[in-house]
Amino acid sequence: MSAVGISQSPKPQASRLVALLVLAAIAALVAATPFLPNYHIRVVNSLLIYILLGIGLNIVIGYTGLLDLGFVAFYAVGAYTYALLASPQLDLHLPFLLIVGIAAVLGMITGILLGIPVLKLRGDYLAIVTLGFGEIIRIVVNNVDWLTGGPKGIARLDKASVLGVEIARPVEIYWLLLVTVFLVGLFVWRLERSILGKAWAAIREDQDAARGIGINTTNAKLAAFATSATIGAIAGTIFAASQRFVSPESFTLQESVLIVLMIVIGGIGNILGIVAGAAILILLPEMLREFAEWRILFLGILMVVLIIVRPAGIVPRSFGPEKLIRGLFGK
Amino acid sequence: MLGTLIQQTVNALTIGSIYALIALGYTMVYGVLRMINFAHGEMFMLGAYAAFLALTLFVGEIGAIGALGLTIAFFGAVVAVGFFGVGIERLAYKPLRNSTRLAPMLSSLGVSLTLVTGIQILAGPQPVAFPSFFPTTRYDFMGGTVTSVQIGILIAAFVLMFALYTLVNRSRMGIIVRAVSESRPTAQLLGINVNLAISAVFFAGPLLGAAGGILYASYYGIMSPSMGAVIGLKAFTAAILGGIGSIPGAMLGAYILAFVEVGGTALLPLITNGVLGTEYRDVLSFVILILVLLVKPAGILGEPVSEESMVYKREF
Amino acid sequence: MTLVFSNLRKQYGANVAINDVSTEFAPGLIHGVIGPNGAGKSTLINMTAGSYTVSAGSISLDGRRLDGMKKHQIANSGIARTYQNIRLFDQMTVLENLEVCSYPTEVRNTWREVLWPPYGRVRAEARRESGMEILRFFGLEGYADAEAGSLPYGRQRMLEIARALAMNARVLLLDEPAAGLNHHETAELTAKLAELRSPDRIMLVVEHDMDLVMTLCDRIVVMHHGKLLFQGTPAEVQASSDVQLAYLGTVNDIDDIRAAAQDRRAQLGIRARRRS
Repeated sequence: MSAVGISQSPKPQASRLVALLVLAAIAALVAATPFLPNYHIRVVNSLLIYILLGIGLNIVIGYTGLLDLGFVAFYAVGAYTYALLASPQLDLHLPFLLIVGIAAVLGMITGILLGIPVLKLRGDYLAIVTLGFGEIIRIVVNNVDWLTGGPKGIARLDKASVLGVEIARPVEIYWLLLVTVFLVGLFVWRLERSILGKAWAAIREDQDAARGIGINTTNAKLAAFATSATIGAIAGTIFAASQRFVSPESFTLQESVLIVLMIVIGGIGNILGIVAGAAILILLPEMLREFAEWRILFLGILMVVLIIVRPAGIVPRSFGPEKLIRGLFGK
Repeated sequence: MLGTLIQQTVNALTIGSIYALIALGYTMVYGVLRMINFAHGEMFMLGAYAAFLALTLFVGEIGAIGALGLTIAFFGAVVAVGFFGVGIERLAYKPLRNSTRLAPMLSSLGVSLTLVTGIQILAGPQPVAFPSFFPTTRYDFMGGTVTSVQIGILIAAFVLMFALYTLVNRSRMGIIVRAVSESRPTAQLLGINVNLAISAVFFAGPLLGAAGGILYASYYGIMSPSMGAVIGLKAFTAAILGGIGSIPGAMLGAYILAFVEVGGTALLPLITNGVLGTEYRDVLSFVILILVLLVKPAGILGEPVSEESMVYKREF
Repeated sequence: MTLVFSNLRKQYGANVAINDVSTEFAPGLIHGVIGPNGAGKSTLINMTAGSYTVSAGSISLDGRRLDGMKKHQIANSGIARTYQNIRLFDQMTVLENLEVCSYPTEVRNTWREVLWPPYGRVRAEARRESGMEILRFFGLEGYADAEAGSLPYGRQRMLEIARALAMNARVLLLDEPAAGLNHHETAELTAKLAELRSPDRIMLVVEHDMDLVMTLCDRIVVMHHGKLLFQGTPAEVQASSDVQLAYLGTVNDIDDIRAAAQDRRAQLGIRARRRS
């Protein structure tokens, strides 16, 4: 705590209690899932994929402060890479891990290619251009029938297998996703706390002043874009492998907006916030089954309300994994 | 050949007029609030639905839709959407006037989603047939066909744009709006009613957008809850092309974009030997958008950001 | 090591903001830049730091030309600046504002930092320690983990200078560092700046506060309408009639002003109250 006495966090006791509760909830869900019926496991898998997407997009929006409205483009790159390399479409059947690697590299390249022209734009223009780019990708995928299967998509994708173990049943996909989310989350968490992460924060605060202290903002922003694109692509690959089917319908503008919404509602710049946001996004329609249409309506209203009342999102930025761990050990 | 040219020109002018009506809304809002209103495309959509609602009410009440009924429905709908726009601004954007630049944009994303899904729930997600507001007669003009719908759209659009131009440049409200667009803090210090100016913009912009929506739905005979999305983006492209914040710029950009689109979709299959077809029309506008922002973000009639403002204001 | 302005010119259309300015800034001295508003003082800093483009002429440090380089390249060549309107990273902590300055040298090790925690810990500790050292120099160590934006105004000004120092810069460009400070804070600032004098450092201070400038600076450059009017020691500047005419004013001016004020009061029928 600072000596100045301007402290905004709740008293240590309450904070520790909340931390313990959250950790307990997460642990319970993680442990219980394999024993749930398949339908529920699929819901959790969906949740995990959105968490992964959120972690990726959060690097650009939450850490660096750039509004990317075309994130599904990278998601699509990853998904279609799998669809093309592990299906009857081109009659290629590469192993899953290799495809993940290829997709990651392709995602990174796409991120850099998009980033180079786009990153010198002002914030609002950046948002529009990324939106346009996302739409371009979707339209192109929709129309290049011979490669991507057009609106019908590509079906009968191979089952994934990692080191000889087949990953097809929901519970197997669950473990794959859990491990991936954990590893990626850990990586990104450490990235945020590294010097690059601090540079991203400086760019978010005041890009020009950041240049003034010697930060090559173009490169730093490119790094953010590339990393987020890579993660998006990896998420896409796993998504395709779990669904064993891809079509342009999964990669619409609304999807991009929903992922943004998820981050904003849950808590910008905060991995726990992403978990919260994803939970709201995914679990809400499950609970309000009859009101499926109302889900997005509700999210839209929630977004507006939160932006006005609590722009930092439901989970405050400072409530990160460190707080959880500290809460647990009382440091 | 001349006939086709005439035809395509009229097509371009027609669609350009519709883009212009919507683009004006984007540019005016950007002018006063420096914000991209992602929900503006939905004003376009709401205009169509509001007019449809008005018409069905009339048919119920009066039994027939005469010219009077159509006119009342048209004006009723656009005015209603205008007031709705003012309401949205008060609720969703006004509280964020002193927040980050990102916040109102995110809020408008939320508003956009809410409106689209709201209409989907109220009126169903599928497209609905929309009656034409104009008599459907075709005229032969030097070998090309011009429909009275197109003529009607051109007239309506020009009248509205002329009205806006007069208001902005010759009325007191216009001066106030322009002052607020130049510098809101200065306008406040001068005692100008900034809230009024902003509300006026959020009345006029959605009104014009709604008019565009009714005209568009008349032209294509169809409306759907998601019709605002792509058109909104194209109109935004037009506004940027012409110079965001500039009213003549929005109109100029709209017509240029329309001509490029019409010309492009006609030429594209020819140039690429059928590889790229008319489905890529939308891609064309996005590509133009990206190119303009990369090469000359200020647009044709816009002003580039000055060096000094970079040092003394935080960049967004 | 010298900072050299050579026939520097800055033009906005028809408006010439800097008109053929040539001068040199040597290390080990504190150079003041003064002049009426609009004289071009801040413009010089902005041009040196790369915020403004140079219309003609050149700016060089150690023979290496700075004009035309990108902002971050100039910063990495050893130029640090503060801003007239404070531009700190408000939501980052005070310490982070300093730590982030090691980015140019440390970014290349990011992979190691991220993937190998022990190395990461070592780097983080090192950054923290260098940051704290600078904070201690400015008396800000108590604020280390507070949000930079929450600091009192005077402290924020200090922090901006601390951040410039954290860049290990050879050239410090301070743009009105005392603006908005009260008398006590200004004295504190003056003392700290004096301590920063070093043979490896070139310091430029643009200021309006004459007490500060005359006390602190070893050499003063006087700007007027974009031109370099005069340069010399504080004593020389104060004695120069050119400078008095343009900027400082003379003793006669003060008498004239007092007389005019008294006439006006008489006109309005206001009686001057005597303070005992």
